[in-house]
Amino acid sequence: MKRARTPVTLLRIAIALLGLGIAALLYAFPLYWLVVTSLKTKSELFAATIHLLPHNATIEPYVSVLIDRGFWVLLKNSIIVCFFTVVVTIVVGLIITYPITRLAVPVRLRVGVLNWALSLRFLPPIAVVIPYFAIVRTLQIYDQPIALIGIYSLFNLPFAIWMLKGFLTEIPLELEDAAMVDGANRWTSFLRVLLPLAAPGIMAAGIIVFTFSWSEFLFALILTATPNAQTFPVGVQGLVTQFEIIWNDMAAAGVIAMAIPLALMVIARKYVVAGLTFGVIREK
Amino acid sequence: MSRLVAELPAPTDERPVRVGRRRRGRQERLAYLILLPALGTVFVIVTIPFIVVLIQSVTADDGSFLGLRNFTRALANPLFYEALRATGVYALIVLPSEIVLGLGFALLVHRTVRRAGLRATLYVLAVLPLVVPPVAIGVVARLIYAPGYGVLNIILERLGLIHQEIQWLSNPTLAMLSVASVDVWQWTPFVYLVLFAGLQTVPRESVEAAQVDGAGWWTQFRYIELFYLRPLFLLILFFRLADVLRVFDHVYILTGGGPGTTTQLLSLYLYRTEFKFFDTGQAAALAVVVLVSISILYSLITRVLPLERA
Amino acid sequence: MQRITRREFVKRTAVTGAAFTSIPAILAACGTGTSTSNKPSKLTVAAVQGAEDGPLKKVGPMYTAKTGITIEIVEFPYDTLFSKLVTTFQANGSSYDLCMMDDPWMPKFGTMGALQPLDSNFGFTRDSDIPSIVYDVGTWPPPSGPVPPTEQSKAKHLYGITIVGNVEMFMYRKDLATAAPTSWDDVKANAARFNKANFYGYVIRGKATNPASSDSLPILWSFGGDVFDTNWKVKLDSTESIDAITFLTKTLKQYAEPSADNIDAADRDRLIAIGQAFQSTTWPAEVTGVVEAQGSSQVIGKMAYIPIPQGPSGKGIGMMGNWLLGIPKGSHNGSAAADFIKWMLQADNMKTYVQNGGIPTRTSLLNDATLGQTNPYFPALAKSLAAPPNWRPRTDQWNAVETIYGTAVNQAIAGLKTPKDAMMSAAAQIRTTMQGAGYPS
Repeated sequence: MKRARTPVTLLRIAIALLGLGIAALLYAFPLYWLVVTSLKTKSELFAATIHLLPHNATIEPYVSVLIDRGFWVLLKNSIIVCFFTVVVTIVVGLIITYPITRLAVPVRLRVGVLNWALSLRFLPPIAVVIPYFAIVRTLQIYDQPIALIGIYSLFNLPFAIWMLKGFLTEIPLELEDAAMVDGANRWTSFLRVLLPLAAPGIMAAGIIVFTFSWSEFLFALILTATPNAQTFPVGVQGLVTQFEIIWNDMAAAGVIAMAIPLALMVIARKYVVAGLTFGVIREK
Repeated sequence: MSRLVAELPAPTDERPVRVGRRRRGRQERLAYLILLPALGTVFVIVTIPFIVVLIQSVTADDGSFLGLRNFTRALANPLFYEALRATGVYALIVLPSEIVLGLGFALLVHRTVRRAGLRATLYVLAVLPLVVPPVAIGVVARLIYAPGYGVLNIILERLGLIHQEIQWLSNPTLAMLSVASVDVWQWTPFVYLVLFAGLQTVPRESVEAAQVDGAGWWTQFRYIELFYLRPLFLLILFFRLADVLRVFDHVYILTGGGPGTTTQLLSLYLYRTEFKFFDTGQAAALAVVVLVSISILYSLITRVLPLERA
Repeated sequence: MQRITRREFVKRTAVTGAAFTSIPAILAACGTGTSTSNKPSKLTVAAVQGAEDGPLKKVGPMYTAKTGITIEIVEFPYDTLFSKLVTTFQANGSSYDLCMMDDPWMPKFGTMGALQPLDSNFGFTRDSDIPSIVYDVGTWPPPSGPVPPTEQSKAKHLYGITIVGNVEMFMYRKDLATAAPTSWDDVKANAARFNKANFYGYVIRGKATNPASSDSLPILWSFGGDVFDTNWKVKLDSTESIDAITFLTKTLKQYAEPSADNIDAADRDRLIAIGQAFQSTTWPAEVTGVVEAQGSSQVIGKMAYIPIPQGPSGKGIGMMGNWLLGIPKGSHNGSAAADFIKWMLQADNMKTYVQNGGIPTRTSLLNDATLGQTNPYFPALAKSLAAPPNWRPRTDQWNAVETIYGTAVNQAIAGLKTPKDAMMSAAAQIRTTMQGAGYPS
């Protein structure tokens, strides 16, 4: 059944289109401009007229950032730090969520653990960066990836706990019980039954933790000093300088910093909102 | 076709694990055996900084006890109140804008976009900003607003709308708006996604019934949809408030707190006190104040939060 | 059966957890590998991002070719570098073997005792070809001027060697103006004369904190104002100081670029380089890096460089902004780092360094006619260094003071406060800070 298009509906459609159009423009232009700037040559930055369209595009800034400035090392650090953060967060997250979702525990305990994890989400990093700096100094792990891995794991644990809780709750207890009746012990049934079933969820949680750690800047800025541990965002910030006009390099670094989380979102897009809202919004 | 929905906990949503009493006892012991070491470790790691910062706030660098002197210093500093004010203004700009815009788009798409494919595309597009590093967004914002090479002025000039550069980052009001706009750009999609998901939970029958009764879109929104969205607004407020208190990266890159101290949010002020003035005592005192206020705020908000707990 | 299972489960969980958590530790351990041998394979230099460290990056490989020691340069923007160095020193980290320091940071590092003395530890002596102010600026406590109360009993040592001989100078378009401005009145007259649409009579570098501070201090001094007097009493609210700031933020502001309060060195240089501005103060590194740089500048050969013009005080006072190399206490490679500094200082190596865009401190190089052709500001720099220029107050509190002062000047430029109000409130804040730090104020 098709409704006739009255002038009023047409007007509505027009307004809707206009709204969406403006939104799309505001949404996309900044990203477009970042990419265009990242393709400019240095001499173009000093031209009096600024081209809004790509003009003599070059990948020079990318080479400059990754090779000449040696940022590939920072990229490597970022990947290492994020990878181990994911491993630690997921393992600890599973250790904490397994008992509260798969075992008969008092509701109070379950609620207590979840509440406590949620409260960590409210912890402002800037307020604890001061004591953490003192601790890192005392432990002599300043400028070492392990300091970041530890802190990132801690700050991502709330997300991981809530996401994993959601995924584990969805798997019927009976499946594991059945395995155990067949003679498997709890460890094997965890390993053989639960883990494979929860794998997609664990993977999603891992990717989300990865992207969050990838974006972290404050701790990385304060707790690193050299390419031994510096992560990519620290490098990006280093290009925002007062003494040099290097907007193209700056933009290229920005593009690279964005590219990896965006690429990962192709896999985990369904779960981002679940992660950010602690499971209230879910994909059905 | 999968779709995103809000899963609000029903009051009776208690998942009973039915097992015999003996087995329950055993399982409980096992649970504690697994939980305690892990939780204990995490708890210690989380708690140590609180103790350290508390000690730092009442002692001098040489370890001598100062009493509350750092606190009086921190609270007597006018910059602290400027930072509080800036944070408040920032929150008052970004939270309503994001909610209004997010709600607007959610309703718009909900009402006008029917094609599943298009909805899915919009979903992916809305997810993207959420995972972009704020540092990179700060870089984008500089390319847009900076004096001299900021593209926004260039476009406005080409369109003939302005003849003199607008001082986006120099005028205190505009600087705050510029900084806030970055936040709105990144987080409106989040609000959109949450509210859009919420709209999917509105039972079709009640909407149709209302339409039969001749309810206009406003009535429909006001009396039906809003009812289902209400808990989600709280949720959005909760997460966005937590985020506003931790905003640092893009402001640090875009204005560094300027002009003057207009955009020096609480987090930037704390950073400056500790890592530019190296006044650890005062910074620690500030951190304690912030942590205590946030704990209070947190306990107030969580009472009404629609999160599934069990 | 059940019991064993449970134990087994806990054990395995624990083992798995431990294994995973220890991987980063192992990884970190592999990554660091601090060497204690005398000849390290690598020296790590913390440097400032921009034209200042560019030449250093170019001569690094030459040193590597000669000695086999890699020079690893870690760059930070100006603001971040200072914070980074202090935090690294606080952590007593061995991350850096050498650090580039702006001269106003010396007091902080000297007070912290963060650097290794170059004279007593590594046998550095003064070279007669290098102006003595260059050594003085790297000495702590300062050989002249007021000394902070806590530092008066310390023995003087040399902690830093200048590798960028920076003195703030003045530049203007000589193709437009017939005569060089000798006073700030001339500057104002030229600004008024050449100011037109899309061409600014004067460029103010007015971004808050360090930029606004650096841009205004030479004017402040030339007008007879100052931040402190010789007894650390704050002088920012004196008539001379207020007049100077009024001159910059009101009089010159009329002819300045829009958004002057958000303009930093790079933006200023771009305005000059694309031929949209007449005059400004400048640092030598900006000249080599942008204004006279092939490929980016459209005003090559059109600019003149002179010492800071005179103010009502009858003097034109330049500001020192030398970049020094120092060796952090935490470095395990002190003597290798010292060897590198000595190598940099040798006359022929410094010449190579200059040919790569470096800014020398040797008088013989500054007066070298061939080098002067590509570096038109060398004579002005030699003169400015010999004058000698002022340095910023030698107090470990300088960073806080500069932030307060530089923010106040910025507020005056932005028109948020009148110059007088800005200076009065800055003076009050600085007094509180200094008193808190044990200064008489």
